[in-house]
Amino acid sequence: MNKPDDIKLMERCSKGDRQAFEILLVRYEKPVFNAAYRMLNSPDDARDVTQTVFLKVFEHLDQYDPKYRFFSWIYRITLNESINWLKKSSRLDALDGDTADTRGSPEQEASNAQLSEGMQAALMTISPEYRAVVVLKHLFGCSYQEISEVLEIPEKKVKSRLYSARQLLQETLIESGLHR
Amino acid sequence: MTIDPRYFELIQAAIDGEIDAAGKAELETFLVESDEGRAVYEDLATLCQSLDGLPEIDPPPHLRHILFNMAPAKSAPTPAPGVLQRIFSGPALGYIGMFAAGVALTLALIDSGQISRDAFDDVTGLVGTITSSEFVVPEHGTISVDTSEVAGTVSLRSTGPILIVDFDLSAKQPVQIRAEYSDKSIWFNGFAQLESSGTSIAADSGAVTLEMGGKRRYAVYLNNPGLRPATINLQFMVGGELIHEAKLNYGESD
Repeated sequence: MNKPDDIKLMERCSKGDRQAFEILLVRYEKPVFNAAYRMLNSPDDARDVTQTVFLKVFEHLDQYDPKYRFFSWIYRITLNESINWLKKSSRLDALDGDTADTRGSPEQEASNAQLSEGMQAALMTISPEYRAVVVLKHLFGCSYQEISEVLEIPEKKVKSRLYSARQLLQETLIESGLHR
Repeated sequence: MTIDPRYFELIQAAIDGEIDAAGKAELETFLVESDEGRAVYEDLATLCQSLDGLPEIDPPPHLRHILFNMAPAKSAPTPAPGVLQRIFSGPALGYIGMFAAGVALTLALIDSGQISRDAFDDVTGLVGTITSSEFVVPEHGTISVDTSEVAGTVSLRSTGPILIVDFDLSAKQPVQIRAEYSDKSIWFNGFAQLESSGTSIAADSGAVTLEMGGKRRYAVYLNNPGLRPATINLQFMVGGELIHEAKLNYGESD
C-alpha cells in the first residue's frame, strides 16, 4: 500500500522539490479523486475535495510525521474532507435518490453499469463513517490494520463497521432488485 | 436456525483474507454442516465481489495541472499562527477553487485557439499568489462604475510581476469590457471567476475582452515581467456602443 519512497518524496517536497511533488501527485491523484468520488457521488465535488486535499498536504508538509505511512495520512485527509464537505453541503440525509454519475456508453456492459450505479446509490444511503471503511477496504484493498490506522479507530470497530455497512448495503441492493 | 455471531465474524474475516488457520478450520467445519451458513457466505462474497468491481473513475484531465500549480515553488511553507485558518476560510478557498476553474477555462480557450499556450504555461504558482492576494496584496487603485447599464467596481492589485484586475460588477444586459494595457511587454496570464461563472474572455496582443451579464465577480491576471509602470484602459460597451471608460494605473503613474 505505502510506496517505499513516499517518505523520501515528502522530504524532498518539503524542501521545495517540485519534481518529487509531481511523482506523489501522479501516484495519489487518482486514488484521492476516486475516494472522494465514492464518498460524495459527484465528480465535481470530488474534484474540489481533491484540490483541498492536496492544498492541505502542501500546507502541512512540515507537520507530516514520517513514522506514519503517507497513504494513511493523505487518505485520512481525503475522507475527513469528504465528510466535512457532506456536512457543509447538508447532504448527509436522504441521498438515496441520487444515482452515480458514471461515464461511458449505457449500451456497454449494461448490467455491470446498472450494478455499479446501484452500488454507488446504495453507498450513498449508508453513513459516511460506514462508507469510509467500505471505500478503504474495496477501493484500496486496505487491511483491517491499515483501515484502523487511516481512520484512527480500533480494529474491532473497523470489523463491526464493515459488517454493519455490508449488511445495510445488502438490504438496499435486495430492495432495489440488484442483489438476491 | 440462528447462526452464532462468531461465525458471521469468521465468514467476514475469511472473505477479507484476514482469517487465521484455526479460524479457517473452524469455519470450514461449520460451513459443511450449515446450509444457512453457506448461504450467508455466498451472499457476502457476492456483495464484496461487486464492491471490488466498482470501476475507477478518471479525474478530470486538467486536474493534475491545476494541482501541480499549487505546489510550493521553492521552499516549504512555514505558516505563522492563524494563516492556515485564513487560507482555509471560505473566501480564500473559494477563490482558489474559482481560480482553478479559471485555469480550466483558460485551457478551454487555449484549445479553442483564443489564447496562446505560452500564456497558460506561466500561470504556475499563481494559486498561492491568489490566496495571499485576498489579504496582503497591495491595491493600486479602484474605479467605480455607475451607469444605468452596469455598476460596481474594478480594482488593480499586484503581487510580484502579477497584476490582478478584480472585477465586481452587475450588468442589466450583456456588457462587453475591453481592457487594454499600455505596455506591450505585459501579457495575459490567467483568469478566475469568483462567486459566479458565465463570463467569457478572449485575449489578444495588449488587450483582453470580457463579456458578462448579471452579477459577476472575476479576476484577470496579467504578467508584467519588468514591473514597469502600466496603465490599463477599460472600455465598457453595450451593443457595440461605448457607455463608460476608466483607467487603472500601476507603478509610477499610481
